[in-house]
Amino acid sequence: MPPSPEITRRRLLASASVGAAAVGFGGAGFLAGRESAEASGDGTGSVSFYGEHQAGIATAAQDRLHFAAFDLLTEDPAELRELMREWTVAAAEATAGEMVGNVNNVPLAPPEDTGETVGLLPSRLTVTFGFGPGLFEKPGLGLGGKRPAQLQPLPPLPADELNPAESGGDICVQACSDDPQVAFHAVRNLARIGRGTVAMRWSQLGFGRTASTSRSQDTPRNLMGMKDGTANIRAEDSEAMEGSVWVGNEGPDWMRGGSYLVSRRIRMLLEVWDRASLQDQERTIGRHKYSGAPLGGSEEFEPLPLDEERNGHPVIPIDAHVRLASAEENDGARILRRGYSFTDGVDESLGELEAGLFFISFQRNPEQFVAIQRRLGSMDALNEYIKHVGSALFAVPPGASPGGYVGEGLLS
Amino acid sequence: MKPVRVRPALLAGALVFLVLLVSACGSSDDETTSGDSAADEQLAFTLTDAGCDPVDAEAAAGPITFEVENASSNPDLHELEVLDGETVLGETPDVSEGDSGTFTLTLEQGKYTLLCPGGDGEPGTLTVSGELDTENSPEVEKSIETYRSYLEENTAELVSATEPFVAAVVAGDIAKAKSLYPAARIPYERIEPVAESFGSLDPKIDARENDVPTSEFEGFHRIEKALWEEEGLKGMAPVAEQLQADVEELAAKVKTVELQAVQIANGANELLGEVSASKITGEEERYSHIDLVDFEANVEGSEAAFEAVKPLLDASDNDLSGEIEADFKMVFNSLEPYRTDDGFVPYTELTKADTKKLAVAIDTLAEKLSLVPAAIASAEHE
Repeated sequence: MPPSPEITRRRLLASASVGAAAVGFGGAGFLAGRESAEASGDGTGSVSFYGEHQAGIATAAQDRLHFAAFDLLTEDPAELRELMREWTVAAAEATAGEMVGNVNNVPLAPPEDTGETVGLLPSRLTVTFGFGPGLFEKPGLGLGGKRPAQLQPLPPLPADELNPAESGGDICVQACSDDPQVAFHAVRNLARIGRGTVAMRWSQLGFGRTASTSRSQDTPRNLMGMKDGTANIRAEDSEAMEGSVWVGNEGPDWMRGGSYLVSRRIRMLLEVWDRASLQDQERTIGRHKYSGAPLGGSEEFEPLPLDEERNGHPVIPIDAHVRLASAEENDGARILRRGYSFTDGVDESLGELEAGLFFISFQRNPEQFVAIQRRLGSMDALNEYIKHVGSALFAVPPGASPGGYVGEGLLS
Repeated sequence: MKPVRVRPALLAGALVFLVLLVSACGSSDDETTSGDSAADEQLAFTLTDAGCDPVDAEAAAGPITFEVENASSNPDLHELEVLDGETVLGETPDVSEGDSGTFTLTLEQGKYTLLCPGGDGEPGTLTVSGELDTENSPEVEKSIETYRSYLEENTAELVSATEPFVAAVVAGDIAKAKSLYPAARIPYERIEPVAESFGSLDPKIDARENDVPTSEFEGFHRIEKALWEEEGLKGMAPVAEQLQADVEELAAKVKTVELQAVQIANGANELLGEVSASKITGEEERYSHIDLVDFEANVEGSEAAFEAVKPLLDASDNDLSGEIEADFKMVFNSLEPYRTDDGFVPYTELTKADTKKLAVAIDTLAEKLSLVPAAIASAEHE
């Protein structure tokens, strides 16, 4: 089969003599791409799609997110297999900086790739797929017998105010990149490839990572102005990754090396938070705002002085967020957080910003999240300032190899 | 329904598409071509370390076969490309050292770039001169005539359904005019892209209020507004009479309009675009809310255009043809729950869940239908 006349992103960049000079396209996205290009070995900011684990979990958290949940429109297993095959190929192309598909230069045909990333580097794009509990309940697919015991829909949790239209989903796509256009493009093209097989259910753009997943990253701030993710599991902590994040022998074969993804759209009542005193803010979270040091401490990364008291009161209040979320107070339960700030304009009914944290966590067993959130939902001082308005759970399969596809163990 | 991906069949041979619309192609066993103009031009090239040899070439307009032999020891050199500006029109399959490759393009008059990437030399120029033979193949002619009949049927129906509607408006009979409005809308919505090709006729017949300056707001929707929002027909008689004149003009123009197969296929796509842009959103029939009536008409028109060119598509890609037919059925089925004895439920009764179902159905069909023009074009040249 002859190669079709394709213009790869690399070819365009080559013809524009990129080298060390800036080029006319891309603007901020291009510069962001160059920075992350330097960060990656081959200078293109390309994170390998294939591997033992899906990328986008242990990968150092990128700056931007486009997350989408899809409803599956078919119960034909062959169609679902075909979808995952095509999505795997497209994701591998996008993460490598190639255009999606082969037919992009035929005048009478709509281009297969939508084109907005031509000239942009992949900027550490990762695309991560997950399967929701509902998939295993569709009789025609016949996947009931392969459902992991751990994959139960999240139970109602204290203080939930969930909108069903922004919750759940049969299949999810998490696209992260340092370039927002690259993250957007990935989800958009996958949605297009999936037309007729899946329909978009809800999606979320995220700006600004609210976690660090590598020791090389500085702790970012969330929209409350607080450092977020200080005590997060880092990719370099292999013991924590194996113990708390990657599914082991307790899971079915097809899930080993995978993980469970919990997403929670958390609306922050910023107008209320912003008029709280500095002291109230710090006592709500349990850390000093500017340094990120725990109350009663002086360094961001020192252990939480949970047992310390002053004047008969715990230095970190009993309802402080970091205490209630800590591994120490949750029987050692830890989760890998990988969330993003979001804003979706204005809540018309209030004249207030619709903004907050699109929380994402990866854990070996969703129970880890449930246990922590039960405590937070019932006792957290932070609850005065937040509302959980969306929720979803997905089983994230292990990585794929070239020629294979994500979810092959489950679907074949 | 399989997710949509371009089938390998579209890339059969090395030729993927034409510069021109498909009607301008001669078939090899077409006895009306006199042999000299239909004979393929053959151009031979050698790949050397410098690139293409010769660097420049000339040919007559029409089908041109490029034969390329690789005599270079440079592993980076393995193909010859013909470009129009930046667009690669065609290229050889990978030709390894010592081998040859070939491809054919039909080109009209103009200057094109010849490029053998990987070589040291500069790109060259292919100069094509002369007029292109514009005979349609019998199959293409048949498709065009099939669609033209459909156009004429519907413009005739449009004229005969508009007449009593206009009469009711002129007589000031609001109830009667309302009841006759949908029947006049249907044939127009079936063939709308063709009307649009005539320039000012579509705005005169079908503009919505904010599409045109107030003084130019006329046609169906001006009367629609009078009937359903203003509840009065004062001053509408001249508007109605103008509408009658406009639809009659459309019926006359359609008899002689030049049609091409790819254009008909594009029209099928445009009709679905109409549905997405204005029927699913309730934008078209803002006062009467009969958008689902128009929706069905648009899809019927799209299907008719598709069926007209389907034999050309079947020549190259049977899978796509069958899938599109199944998708049309699926779209019509998705409308069924909203059908009533005398039409459809008003748009205002649809929930977000309803419109989402309809939109997903249309997007599914449209994504596949969008592959037809290129597929027809390549079918013409196998």
